[in-house]
Amino acid sequence: MAETFEATRPVIHEKGIGASVERKEDDRLLRGEGRFADDVDPGHCLHMAVGRCPFPHAQIVSIDVSAAMSLEGVEDVLVGADVIARSDPISVLRPVPDAPSLNFYAMATDVAVFEGHPVVSVAAVSRAVAEDALAVIDVDYEPLPHVVDVDSAMDPRAPVLHPRILSSNLLATNPTGAGEPEAKLAEAAVVVEDTFAVNRVTGLPMETRAIVAEWQAGARELTVRHSTQTPHLIRKQLAESLRLEDGAVRVLADDVGGGFGLKIGIYPEDVLACLHAMGTGRPVKWVEDRVEFFRATTHARESVHHVRIGARADGEIIGMTDHYAVDLGGYNSPTGSPQLSSVMFTGPYRVNDARTERRVILTNKAPVGAYRGYGQPESCFVRELLIDRLARRLGRDRVELRIQNMVRPEDMPWTSTSGAVYDSGDYAAALRRAAQEIGYEEHVARGRGPDADGRYVGVGIASFVERTGYASSKFLAGRGSRFGAHESVILRANRSGGVDLYSGVSTFGVGSETSFAQIVAEVTGIEFDAVRVHLGDTSASPLNTGGFASRTLIAAAGAIRQASEELRAKTLRIAAFMLEIEDPADLAIRGRVACRRDDPEVAVGLADVHDRAIINQGMPPGEQPGLEATAQFEPEAAAFAFGTAAARVLVDPETGEFEIERFVVAHDCGTPVNPKIVDGQLMGGLAQGFGQAVMEELQYDADTGQLVNGTMMDYFMPTSADLPAFELHHSHTKSPGTPFGVRGVGETGTIPGGATIANAICDALEEFGVQINRLPLTPEAVWHAVRVARGSEART
Amino acid sequence: MKAAPFSYLRPESVAEALQLLDRHDGAARVLAGGQSLMPMLQMRLMQPAALIDINRLPELATIRAEGPVTVIGALTRYAELERSPIVAERLPLLACAVAYVGDLQVRNRGTLGGSLAQADPTGEMPLACLVLGATVVAASASGTREISMEDFLVGSYATALEPEEMITEVRFPVSPDRFAFLERNRKHNDFAIITVAVAGRRDDDSDGWSDVRIGLGGVHDHPLLAHDAQRLLDGSALEDELIAEAARRAADGVDPPSDIRATAEYRRHLVRVYVRRALTSLRDDNGGACA
Amino acid sequence: MPERVLITVNVNGRDYRREVEPRTHLADFLRHELGLTGTHLGCEQGVCGNCTVLVDGQAIKSCLMLAAQVDGQRVTTVESLAHGEELHPLQRAFKEAHALQCGYCTPGFLMTATAIAAGGGRPSGDELRELLAGVVCRCTGYANVIAAVERYLEDRDGVEVADG
Repeated sequence: MAETFEATRPVIHEKGIGASVERKEDDRLLRGEGRFADDVDPGHCLHMAVGRCPFPHAQIVSIDVSAAMSLEGVEDVLVGADVIARSDPISVLRPVPDAPSLNFYAMATDVAVFEGHPVVSVAAVSRAVAEDALAVIDVDYEPLPHVVDVDSAMDPRAPVLHPRILSSNLLATNPTGAGEPEAKLAEAAVVVEDTFAVNRVTGLPMETRAIVAEWQAGARELTVRHSTQTPHLIRKQLAESLRLEDGAVRVLADDVGGGFGLKIGIYPEDVLACLHAMGTGRPVKWVEDRVEFFRATTHARESVHHVRIGARADGEIIGMTDHYAVDLGGYNSPTGSPQLSSVMFTGPYRVNDARTERRVILTNKAPVGAYRGYGQPESCFVRELLIDRLARRLGRDRVELRIQNMVRPEDMPWTSTSGAVYDSGDYAAALRRAAQEIGYEEHVARGRGPDADGRYVGVGIASFVERTGYASSKFLAGRGSRFGAHESVILRANRSGGVDLYSGVSTFGVGSETSFAQIVAEVTGIEFDAVRVHLGDTSASPLNTGGFASRTLIAAAGAIRQASEELRAKTLRIAAFMLEIEDPADLAIRGRVACRRDDPEVAVGLADVHDRAIINQGMPPGEQPGLEATAQFEPEAAAFAFGTAAARVLVDPETGEFEIERFVVAHDCGTPVNPKIVDGQLMGGLAQGFGQAVMEELQYDADTGQLVNGTMMDYFMPTSADLPAFELHHSHTKSPGTPFGVRGVGETGTIPGGATIANAICDALEEFGVQINRLPLTPEAVWHAVRVARGSEART
Repeated sequence: MKAAPFSYLRPESVAEALQLLDRHDGAARVLAGGQSLMPMLQMRLMQPAALIDINRLPELATIRAEGPVTVIGALTRYAELERSPIVAERLPLLACAVAYVGDLQVRNRGTLGGSLAQADPTGEMPLACLVLGATVVAASASGTREISMEDFLVGSYATALEPEEMITEVRFPVSPDRFAFLERNRKHNDFAIITVAVAGRRDDDSDGWSDVRIGLGGVHDHPLLAHDAQRLLDGSALEDELIAEAARRAADGVDPPSDIRATAEYRRHLVRVYVRRALTSLRDDNGGACA
Repeated sequence: MPERVLITVNVNGRDYRREVEPRTHLADFLRHELGLTGTHLGCEQGVCGNCTVLVDGQAIKSCLMLAAQVDGQRVTTVESLAHGEELHPLQRAFKEAHALQCGYCTPGFLMTATAIAAGGGRPSGDELRELLAGVVCRCTGYANVIAAVERYLEDRDGVEVADG
């Protein structure tokens, strides 16, 4: 029986691991005293505005900036030729395997390959004046044929986006998996298959991107304030693109208004702002407006999947395949297309013959990048919908069929066909819990049929396993990733008797300031309130990677634990010396003092201990001066969170409208460092997953190739009145390979929504024979599905 | 996303506002609530030379009874309509529809006149005013004229207002005593995919209906009345078969758009379904049915 | 030279006299002219409501008003809520309920909730969700925000609140 957190921690440290401590971040944010990138107004600051190609694909014949240059208040203008002379392409952090580099410069020169591609930029005394300047810049475009979907892009007659590098729009083909699924599918008693289309969406953080770049000409150093999840990666990439040494670049991220994966790595505008700063010697600020955001910040998820699942007559799943095409957009962004649709394809099921093949295809649309979930919502959707269909074909109960095929605790560690090593957990238990909470058995027993107002009830479930964190730097190296899996931290004792923690992670909503302090408090014994956390400054923190892939806590917890243990040990050695006690092991740190374990009256104040060390007076012989610890930690393995979601819906087949009466999630994220923060992460992820499942979609017009709905009015993100109440049920199985047994939780909520709701609708409308194969599930989409099932229209 | 430059003018009387409009010869826009205008300015979809701020003209913001007629000033905020006992009593359909407009913040600033001038094809106010048989009073430096709602709404975001004219008030005759209102959106507070507002008078003795109005929003270039369907129902008891036929006629009479929110085909289908449901609600729910 | 309009506006109890460009909206004026950066811009399209402040006590989206328009009016922003070191009870309620994550939309919710509270009554559940639907959040999924405002309204009325 795997170890649960509760089983091994009967007493929770008041503000240590497992406590729902109020967040340190909150006071300043509640007062409106946060420091987001645009909150800082340096003197003599210039403001940048970027002119962008309005066409999906166009030759830039000429640009006349003369009218702009002579506009009062305009200080600097950049065109493509300037940019390629003074900068190098933006590096890819997470390459697509077997893909050539596409040389993504910060500005288009002769050809623009997506609507929104920068073609000119202006730095002026205000944003308004910079936009006035853009209005008088004359760009002569020659529109070229465009492609805005993967099928058109792969047509032999399609225009090739990067003809100097590729002969078609296929960037790479990446197979994954093991076994002989084709053979198994051939021998299977039942095969279910379909083609699924997943929608293109945006993470839509409430703060758009922003940068303030300052160049000190004398010292030849660049200081950048940036709205980012990864200050050290920004530093690295800016240094590379701007041809500076790492040491000449400092990146600061104070408060960041949401990231969700969209703010990992640099974008063209970051390079442009720095070039303007370096060219003019004045600080340059760029704040992305929301219209730009929809065209210039990475999009996410769009893919088309051909999936087959085969089973024996007794219900054992024996083969699975997914041939899918990812719509990458015009360039490979630093984070590229999601990997995890392949890695997590088989989900919680014990299948030994499963293969995926991902084709990454370029189109004339905004580049695609990472977004919370990173491919897992897609694989969950296609797989769980087919599992339900499999159950119907076999005449089996949907819960029982899943349980029959799930990896069991005794199978762990279990290596899936993609090479993922599932660490621990009882997947069936989570499924049973969700089924119980939603009233699955009662629903099945009640039978079907419309209620008084013609609506049909359905219950849907979806199970998933989620990879959190990265297996190791070795794993990342094997994939050409330009970052490591480790985290690092500095702990420094201060004269007040507390400690300062320095980390290169930034604050973008996940509560790192708080959870980090909880770990320090837990391991050292120092008061939570006496731990001050400093995040996001590359000059004040050791090199690290940053906050994404649900890796932060896993990796940081290890580094913090190590540094805390080291600091604690030295503190107790000094305290023992001060108290004339032989063995430091007889002492402990309790809040603001170090004292005898068996007699707390015998104590010395931490402030005194710290002071001695800081000025190196009265220290034990042989002890080094100072009291600080730096630690780097690489996790041994990724951790795998898991769960099942279940929903109950009411569907009106006449209009396709539906109401989600209840939505429950039974979930395991291992040891929760701060349970309230864990719940908050789940709820936020569920809201975004819900939005993708039923409301959100970025649509491109096939004829014009332009984004149809690139404004807040026309992109349907959920409001408070749109969401069902999400009911959370937790288990806490420790992960054997991570510090404290933690698993990541930042992305989980995004994964099951589409699958769960789709399965519920299909269940409700089973007598119509409705099948769903696309997202989002709008009322109109459901209405069409009913009509297709009735034969009133053909399927698209 | 900063607006192009413009001059800011704040007249101290309606007369002065009209003079300014006239003088600018179409190059000035009236700034009332600003909830629709400001985003358009900021996206540079509109670049007027001047804005004429009429928000300090309280004479434009009254709600009053003139015998059977209810008169609402153009500058009346949605929130004021929501709170007004006169509107609640005399124009319950309007009170119902206004709750669907935007969100709390928008309702604090947006105005009735602004909504009509904007003529959003999905606008609840234009639809409600149409169904209630309102007339718009348009003023210019050379005088005033009254325009019926049907004549006022000429197309998508297009009205019969001349560039030098401004709405000063909206006049409502006596309301029919019963109504039903339904709206569907892709998300809360969003522009409607479809809005149906029906109203009529029922004779309590004979159960016969008269003066039936069927208003449709979001499914055509502009809000419109389904005259063909209305004619069918006058004098009837709103029997199911007649309702179904009326719904069919209403759907035949619209030319819906296909856009990011819905296709034309789906909208037309919803017209059939929701006209039927709204008329059924009109018949069966007592008094005013605000969904 | 761009045209300028002279305004006198009271913000959080203090009078300011400033010259503004006509096209400057209220949010930019508060943030960059007065340095009150607590009010945030999420879209400048009047949809997200993150920029909500009170003008003469009413919740409005400050990106949809011109600075020139608030001449002679009273503006209240998030910076007015706390009293020195003491958080306002509404802010305390948000903190206790974990009703913020990145904090970017939070001032918008705080000011909208302040206006709702001033209106009297004690909306809750669906009614409260509708009233707050004009502020968009991407981090929290809203549940804790609603809970925080409900809690604040209950406590304010001195009603006993059961735990859990």
